[in-house]
Amino acid sequence: MTSIPKNMASPNSKNGSPAKNSKKDKKKSGQSEVPSRFYGVPLPGVKLEELSGTLFVLEGTDGSGRSTQISLLTEWLESEGFAVQTMGLRRSFLVAEDIDTLLAENSVTPMTLALMYGTDFFDQLERRILPALRSGLIVLADRYIYTLIARSAVRGIGRDYLHGIYEMALRPDLTFWLNVKPEIAFDREFKKSQTISYWESGRDMSLSNDLFQSFIRYQSLIRREFDYLSQRHGFIEVDGEESVSEVNRVLRKQIAAALGIRSMHYKPSHALAHLWR
Amino acid sequence: MASVLPEISITTQSSPTKAPAPKRQYPGALVVVEGIDGSGKSTQLYLLKRWLEIGGYRIHFTEWNSSPLVKSATRRGKQRRLLTPTTFSLLHAADFADRCERQILPLLHGGYLVLADRYIYTAFARDAARGCSPHWLRNLYSFAPVPDITFYFRAPLDVAVNRIVAGRPKLKYYEAGMDLGISLDRAESFRIFQERILNNYDAMVDTDNFVLMDGTVQVNKLQKLMRQVLSDKVELSKFAPKK
Repeated sequence: MTSIPKNMASPNSKNGSPAKNSKKDKKKSGQSEVPSRFYGVPLPGVKLEELSGTLFVLEGTDGSGRSTQISLLTEWLESEGFAVQTMGLRRSFLVAEDIDTLLAENSVTPMTLALMYGTDFFDQLERRILPALRSGLIVLADRYIYTLIARSAVRGIGRDYLHGIYEMALRPDLTFWLNVKPEIAFDREFKKSQTISYWESGRDMSLSNDLFQSFIRYQSLIRREFDYLSQRHGFIEVDGEESVSEVNRVLRKQIAAALGIRSMHYKPSHALAHLWR
Repeated sequence: MASVLPEISITTQSSPTKAPAPKRQYPGALVVVEGIDGSGKSTQLYLLKRWLEIGGYRIHFTEWNSSPLVKSATRRGKQRRLLTPTTFSLLHAADFADRCERQILPLLHGGYLVLADRYIYTAFARDAARGCSPHWLRNLYSFAPVPDITFYFRAPLDVAVNRIVAGRPKLKYYEAGMDLGISLDRAESFRIFQERILNNYDAMVDTDNFVLMDGTVQVNKLQKLMRQVLSDKVELSKFAPKK
């Protein structure tokens, strides 16, 4: 496991700029403290010693290749004999549908949306992920609290406020950041669906009437937040512009080391061969 | 103003007007009522609202958990009993945020006197009774404007609980705090849950400048006091109809 700095700020502390905070964090991470599996107060009723599974998180903007990598990693881990559970955004039983409706109406305010996503996150964490970790499963998260924090932060909600909401979230064993330039992300997203959606171009923020410009500016803002979060939480940065097979090799190497898997051999099955570019 | 409002002559014993008014960024005012179920708060706020309405004041009334936004989620969660203390709390916070950002704040900026039946203190008292961290809850609601007056209606536990139990054939699962597993008997669980909430409210009297209202006082007398406190603490002429 990598050393992850334990420096979740108190929600009441002043909201600093990313640059300012990262300086502070570097100082703090010098202290060798064993990081807790939670950022702050644990969730009510959770016993840490019961959680024998492992949580790996893949973060990155739209078009960074997360979902492709999750599919491949799942197959690889299953072939190695590990049971895998996945999580992601808007996948809770409780509020996924309601968030879809809110997004379709696009009249929702940033704070309300942030808290609905928070509900979605904790519903999955408490009712699906913690039970999986208790049973010793490997959890692969397609995005985590970091995307939620980044999206709300660029819309003007305080970073410390957001960290405060997620202080009861479980700290991942490893967080990978698939870093991709917005221009590359645009190409990938456009190829995927032949259009660019309202939310992934951040049109609610009135950045530009030009959809391409809006997408680039919005994803650049998100990327800047990731840069800050990466320092604050010790992400493992991966060059997401590399080929799928190369990114996958880098991820497998780290995960294999964390789980004690010896053999690094993996070739995708016929069903997933189309992803292997 | 005096011509619109009936004259009130009552001397407030516990002078609840000591707390310094926080600085406002808006011309409106926010008055809220809090207290456990059966404390009489809704009746009193209704009477206050009627008094102001009849006088033609610029007011708006809002209540906890009233937006359609989270209704389906709350229903789904409650029917299937999926809500944990955390998701229960977040869902209500999302609902409140929607009301706050789209209703309460615009109205305060537009110079309204906003009356709220329950406010963030309901979440502080109730969600902490469910086991949420008070520190986490304070952060969660830190975007909410601080009220000009918070009337806290306090009735002895037995009085309040009897008022509710007598009027309802069956207490609902979450309402009775059955999710906490305190007791298998709903009435018993409700009582213990309400007691915890009551204790949490009591602890906020000083920290959050509550105006303590004795819920056992006759309705009309208590209303008279409420109107007096409002007139003392809020400059009502700002909200009066223009002549």
